[in-house]
Amino acid sequence: MQRHVWFMVAIFGAAAAPLAAQSGPQGDTWESIAKLPDFGGLWEVTRGGGPRGAGEPPAFTPEYAAKLAEYQAATARGEIEDGPAANCVPNGMPSIMTQPYPMEVLFTPGKVTILIEAYAQWRQIFTDGREHPEDPDLTFNGHSIGHWEGESLVVDTVGFVTDTSLGNQGQRHSEKMHIVERFKLASPDVLEVQTTITDPEALTKPFVRTATYGRHRDWTLAEYVCQQNNRNFTTDDGKSGIDLSFEEEE
Amino acid sequence: MRTTTVRSGRARALRHVGMVLGSVVGILAVGAWVARAEAHHSFSVFDMQTNKELEGEVVEFQWTNPHSFLWINVTNADGSKTRWGLEGMSPNYLGRRGWTKNTFEPGDHVKVVVWPLKSGEPGGTLQKATFDDGTEVVNFGNRAGGG
Repeated sequence: MQRHVWFMVAIFGAAAAPLAAQSGPQGDTWESIAKLPDFGGLWEVTRGGGPRGAGEPPAFTPEYAAKLAEYQAATARGEIEDGPAANCVPNGMPSIMTQPYPMEVLFTPGKVTILIEAYAQWRQIFTDGREHPEDPDLTFNGHSIGHWEGESLVVDTVGFVTDTSLGNQGQRHSEKMHIVERFKLASPDVLEVQTTITDPEALTKPFVRTATYGRHRDWTLAEYVCQQNNRNFTTDDGKSGIDLSFEEEE
Repeated sequence: MRTTTVRSGRARALRHVGMVLGSVVGILAVGAWVARAEAHHSFSVFDMQTNKELEGEVVEFQWTNPHSFLWINVTNADGSKTRWGLEGMSPNYLGRRGWTKNTFEPGDHVKVVVWPLKSGEPGGTLQKATFDDGTEVVNFGNRAGGG
């Protein structure tokens, strides 16, 4: 009897071993992509689904709380009227994910690509099992790796410039900001993204927000060249305005 | 002189869409949008406490990113004319809510409600425009939401 059990284990083990060797991470082949949840169509943040939804505000360390207080005081004095986006500088992570324009999520073997209409941005999330670089270049959208946990895409992103904010201009972060996002379909046409931000220099505990996006299967991405006719501006000393110059047509 | 007759059927239909959607949720949408002002720029240069009404002739409608711009000539009380520049939402946003590059055409007579610039310059944020036939388009439009 016992011998029989071991025989069965051996048979199953022999059969399973080559299968395991062939199948890498979920989404690494076209065949496995076909089994992933359907993220097709365009996704636009739903009302109330943005970055200022319910949840505790970021818990800043004394140093970063002081930065926020300084920013708020300067704003109150009228010294800061706007942020760099008025000059068409993209928001970077995490705010680029909650702009009032849609995004598209594409699966190809080993990679998820998010096309973000606002500021014509993209993010690439490597799902081929690679790690982050040891010393990543610092960028606006960071370096992302991801994996599937059942129906959820879990994305881990590091390597950020400090030009960006956590959502409000005064809410700063360090180069050590670390973002984990969990993407899943909350219902057939609602994508939910839970974003957890940690930062050993700026935050005393994780800052968590959940955004929801509605699906628009009939929409297509549109061009967004911010410099085309950007009449808003903000100067180095924080003043903002609008350029009303106008050339009469002949 | 004007091309109103040629385009009126389609334009009216589109305006009607904008009018219906706009009047139902326009005000809510404005609130939602303003809360999201970080998108491109803050509203600090606009006086959002003042709903200024203007009336004039369309000079040009710029269907461009990051904002559309409606330019109208307003006749002042003394008979002089001032060209106002009115910032609106982008083609990407408005185009998904029934607007087109032809929503306004040169020569259209419109009444508009704007948040004027605090600086006193002749510019502001367009909230809504009403055409002579009574149809209305709302800049912040219907936030489609999806689902």
